[in-house]
Amino acid sequence: MIGTKEAVLPLLSQTTTPALEIKDLRKTFGKFTAVDGLSLTIQQGEIFGLLGPNGSGKTTTINMISGLSKPTGGEIKVLGYDVRRDIRQIRQILGAVPQETALYEELSAWTNLNFHADLFGIPRKEKKERITNILKLVQLLDRKDSRVSTFSGGMKRRLALGRALLHEPLLVYLDEPTLGVDVQARRAIWDYVLNLREQGKTVLITTNYLEEAQTLCDRLAIIDHGKLVALDAPQNLKQLYGAQVVDLELVGSCEQVAQIRALPGVKDVVVTDVPDGCRLQVITEGVNHLVPQIINLASQEATLRDISVRDPNLDEVFLRLTGASLRD
Amino acid sequence: MMVQKYTYTLNVIWSCMIRDIRSMLTDRAFTLVGILTPLNAFILMSLFVLAGTQAPTAVVMQDSGPYAQQFYQSLSATNGFKLQIVSASQATSLIQAGRIVAVITIPADFDQSIQHNAPVKVGVEINNLNTDFTNDIRRSVPNAITKFYANAFPDVVSIVPKEQDSYPQDTDYIKYLTVSILVVGMLFGGVMHAGTSMAREWETSTIKELLFSPASRWAIVVGKMLGAFVINIISAAIVLAILVFVIGVQPVHWGEVIAFSLLIILIFIAWGTFLGTLMKQRKQVVVFALGLSIPMFFLSGPFGPITFSAPLIQVIAQIFPVYYAIVLQQHAFHGFDLNTYGINLNVLIVSGYALLLIALAAFSLRRSAIAH
Repeated sequence: MIGTKEAVLPLLSQTTTPALEIKDLRKTFGKFTAVDGLSLTIQQGEIFGLLGPNGSGKTTTINMISGLSKPTGGEIKVLGYDVRRDIRQIRQILGAVPQETALYEELSAWTNLNFHADLFGIPRKEKKERITNILKLVQLLDRKDSRVSTFSGGMKRRLALGRALLHEPLLVYLDEPTLGVDVQARRAIWDYVLNLREQGKTVLITTNYLEEAQTLCDRLAIIDHGKLVALDAPQNLKQLYGAQVVDLELVGSCEQVAQIRALPGVKDVVVTDVPDGCRLQVITEGVNHLVPQIINLASQEATLRDISVRDPNLDEVFLRLTGASLRD
Repeated sequence: MMVQKYTYTLNVIWSCMIRDIRSMLTDRAFTLVGILTPLNAFILMSLFVLAGTQAPTAVVMQDSGPYAQQFYQSLSATNGFKLQIVSASQATSLIQAGRIVAVITIPADFDQSIQHNAPVKVGVEINNLNTDFTNDIRRSVPNAITKFYANAFPDVVSIVPKEQDSYPQDTDYIKYLTVSILVVGMLFGGVMHAGTSMAREWETSTIKELLFSPASRWAIVVGKMLGAFVINIISAAIVLAILVFVIGVQPVHWGEVIAFSLLIILIFIAWGTFLGTLMKQRKQVVVFALGLSIPMFFLSGPFGPITFSAPLIQVIAQIFPVYYAIVLQQHAFHGFDLNTYGINLNVLIVSGYALLLIALAAFSLRRSAIAH
């Protein structure tokens, strides 16, 4: 029946079927290549992050996954269904939370969900119960009859998330789920997303908040200029950058940088000038004895004002892989 | 399975229609504009037409004899003037103030000269700043003179027209024209309302909710069109009521008026839905609806049958559905056959346009990509 997953169950019962399989995906607009030979696989039950600077091809990829845009080449399968042949089935098992929330703000929360239920063919007898449960889940039941235009940004995001879950999708796509919401709302949305994994749903997130990606995602793909530049668990991606980072602030001469850079176990040294000296960011491979050696060398011709040792963050990985130049 | 599929599709259509109507009802200003726009177009165009019908003219009656009176009656009978009898000094100040187009002076010796078969000079002073009115005066005065002689001396005037009419009744110019204006009002309202309703989905990004769903694009388009249809029926009913009860146009075929109005609203809504899908911005749709309505009005034979126009105009007019819509409504209201295709073929052509435009709207929605 349309509106339920009966029609798509045969493939879904195979738990080894990847939630999303993209092979050599390409999309061109005239001479511009938006997606260039992208391949990746997302397993069922994963929370997968798709990162990339603006214009990197994230949205084009998502549009092709949801059938809003036709691939120029390559293959996309959602839970075994080919996007070119089986787009209706894919839309039935895909729950999308667009960046703009796409809610009818002049209507109530209940009416928005009711409309969504009709679009996805949810049976009349189940509709009321499902809407009530979803509104409870996103803690908006008491505001069910309020116009969405009266909601805060966080409430709208929660409602959009609830709406995407109403037809019980197996793959949930969230585009910048916490964009423009306050800290409390962000935490609440993160909790909902983590709960989705517990329910066995697969989640695909695009975000520019790397802290969010690190907190939520089992694996991350970084794409740039339409190509996959890195794909791994957040922790492993950070290892690409270095195991540890030593930040130093020196007063006086900074000529000892070359010696620090030459130490075994040092991957790179980034120097930033400050008025009376310099700031050094020493990226290491995580060798413990390096820190005393670095301090020793640095303090030979300068005074050490500050030092800290930390793990690298995803921002640094992201910038190293995609560059620091503005894309907008 | 098949029944469930159809039930689902019907439910999507219904749901899209109800949602659109709800949105319109919550946005009262928008709904009011939607309802009043065709009415506004109708009133504006009617005023434009009414303003240009008769030239305000003063008559100075220096003679009040029976022939002079009869001549005045002949002037009235031409329908080319809006006459008022004034004194010579009043006439001078009226024409100097620019409040009248002409002063016609019936001289003091009018009756006497006529009785003696002597030449009479009727004074005609024209404020010729507007060629249209000036020509009206230049045509109507000789016309009045002919009428006067035909009535006063029927034996003298030996050439008389032997008229045979195509239709049993004459139709007043205004009554003919306002039916055409009704169609243009429907065009403007339909295109603007359906177009802005569709474009709004893009402006507010709610199109994503529709396009991410497994519902057929046909069902979405038809549902949205039905929502706009309901609102436009209300507008059309108001305009129709004014046409019948205020302007006094009594339809010959009431059934046709209702059926053709529904069909015409449908094509214009389909047109608007297609344009809204294409343009994706309400502002553009409104500008286009305005830009479309005015040339369509003048092109599609509002003042008389298009067959009276230049051949090129006839060809261009027949490309657009507005022409066929006017043909149908003129038949419904006045019983006119404005082309040789017959009413059934005209209905078929309009229905074909409706199907084509619905298909184009659904197709363009299918092809729509979402821009970020």
